[in-house]
Amino acid sequence: MSAVLGVSAYYHDSAAALIIDGKIVAAMQEERFSRRKNDPGLPKRAAQACLDQGGITAEDLDRVVFYENPFARLERVVMSSLEAFPHSWRQFPSALQSQIGGKVWVLDGIAAMLGVPRSLVTTVGHHESHAASAFFPSPFEDAAVLTIDGMGEAESTAIWHGVGAGLQCLASIPYPHSIGLLYAAVTAFLGFEVNEGEYKVMGLAAFGKPRFNTEFAKLLRLQSDGAFELGMEYFAFHTDTNIAFSPKLEHLLGPARQRGKTWNLGKDGDDQRFADIAASLQWITEEALLGLAREARRRTGSANLCLAGGVALNCVANARVLRESGFSRLFVQPAAGDADGALGAAILGTIALDGARPEAMTSAALGVAISTDAARALCTSLGIGWQEPADVLDAAAGLVLEGKVGAFARGRFEWGPRALGQRSIIAAPQDPGMRDRINQIVKKREPFRPFAPAVLRDRAGEWFAAHDNDMTPYMTTTSDVLEHRATDLGAVRHVDGTARIQTVSEEGAPEFFGLLNRMQARGAPPIVLNTSLNGNGEPIVGCEADALAFFLSHPVDFMVLGDVMISKGAVAA
Amino acid sequence: MKKTTAARNFASRALTIVQLIGHFSSGRRIFMLPILLLILIASILLVLAGGLSYVAPFVYAIV
Repeated sequence: MSAVLGVSAYYHDSAAALIIDGKIVAAMQEERFSRRKNDPGLPKRAAQACLDQGGITAEDLDRVVFYENPFARLERVVMSSLEAFPHSWRQFPSALQSQIGGKVWVLDGIAAMLGVPRSLVTTVGHHESHAASAFFPSPFEDAAVLTIDGMGEAESTAIWHGVGAGLQCLASIPYPHSIGLLYAAVTAFLGFEVNEGEYKVMGLAAFGKPRFNTEFAKLLRLQSDGAFELGMEYFAFHTDTNIAFSPKLEHLLGPARQRGKTWNLGKDGDDQRFADIAASLQWITEEALLGLAREARRRTGSANLCLAGGVALNCVANARVLRESGFSRLFVQPAAGDADGALGAAILGTIALDGARPEAMTSAALGVAISTDAARALCTSLGIGWQEPADVLDAAAGLVLEGKVGAFARGRFEWGPRALGQRSIIAAPQDPGMRDRINQIVKKREPFRPFAPAVLRDRAGEWFAAHDNDMTPYMTTTSDVLEHRATDLGAVRHVDGTARIQTVSEEGAPEFFGLLNRMQARGAPPIVLNTSLNGNGEPIVGCEADALAFFLSHPVDFMVLGDVMISKGAVAA
Repeated sequence: MKKTTAARNFASRALTIVQLIGHFSSGRRIFMLPILLLILIASILLVLAGGLSYVAPFVYAIV
């Protein structure tokens, strides 16, 4: 048996994951420790936290696996620059400086970071890591796997077949043709930050109509076998590191949106065109994913599908793929972006050493736990009064049912970008005014951003149409809200009638399970509005100090911190 | 102690260089080795020149 650490870094969202004796012991993103959103640096603190969680030191590791081959990536940078020459001339020095000055030496950096021999550090392929992170934690013995992101070493997209402890690549689409880069370019066009604003575009899409379909068919040319090509004349990411799209895109879609401008949606709003563009992007993305999924089904004959890569975080598209692709089941693990490469790398290292795949993932709670002792000590040192109710979950349930907004930090933090009940802001889901209050005052974000409902798994069918699948525990899909239940869920039902549902079980999210059970015992529906516990532009809360800092700087009514309950009135002046 | 760390870092970098050359020496990538060398030299010159501004007239002349 073995101890393997997987590492992803140097692009965005660096992370570490540890597998010991075939069990996923820990998986964490560096941003939770550094407090820098999507931190791309070496995940020093995340790696140490993983080792601490496993009760081992770096000396006990049998292998450290980096999630991509830095030499193959350098090769792709050189090749694509040569292919785009002379237009790539301006990009070339900075791209090369980034590669030669840092990324090529990443394996040395990892060895030095951990204090292990360099020979212990190995690599696997970028898309292979993605595929491994999607298939091996899934409940399937046999599945088609699609990996779809911006770019790997040379590919942007790949179709795989996973059987038992094996993964085989069946087909791939090379850079620069990439759904992820299309999405990134339009994200920039809409005035959002690339690698951060993509999920805002997905939320915005529901407010628009896909009336730019013809134009988007020029941007992404779909073929009958699932393959696609970008209309490269509309993009600039391959020739300029700072500009994602070319002037031709503005000729096609109209002027790009000014960054930071206040949103004005609605009948007379001047932002309706941008919502329609977002809807058109969502449409073409879904069409591309459906084409790929149907091709994957044709090639593998499997009834099961797994998705990974940043594009797999598009939960609206995932729901449509499950409905229309012909697959019976679809699994998307919660950190499907680049962070998942760390998990995939650790899994591939484990299989190489043990010959067997690790246990399936049953919970996203793979981070560091909140310590009640540490919470008490912090409150004391800051002069903050606290209580320790006999049943803190019941006390929190009571406050939520009174209409209060709470910060909820208990247990081990989540793996991935979604708050799944360990680091959440919670509130009652009925009143639409609650959504506006949290959006404007607490989260300080765009008015079109939806919130998610968390519901007891056994009772989800009372409110949601599509609730019983492999994605709902991790909030990587959406479901229609039953029409006659719409008024029950005014704060979490999106404008298109869907919700980004999380079904809660004791095994998957024990803290939320306890909270929802207390709500049920009080005669209320076991549903809570759930959004991530972070301020605008910040990573989700990690430790006790992060949680208290959030509580003190945001107008929430109470906070559960381990077994400790703090209310705003108890904060010393 | 410092000597040990320096020796380990040197060995680590050496292994990376060997792997890098190994990667570009295999199969059809071998044609890229001279290009890589040229790029490395050009990169060093650009860094020494403090950026593109000093060589800009030549850049514009050739593109």
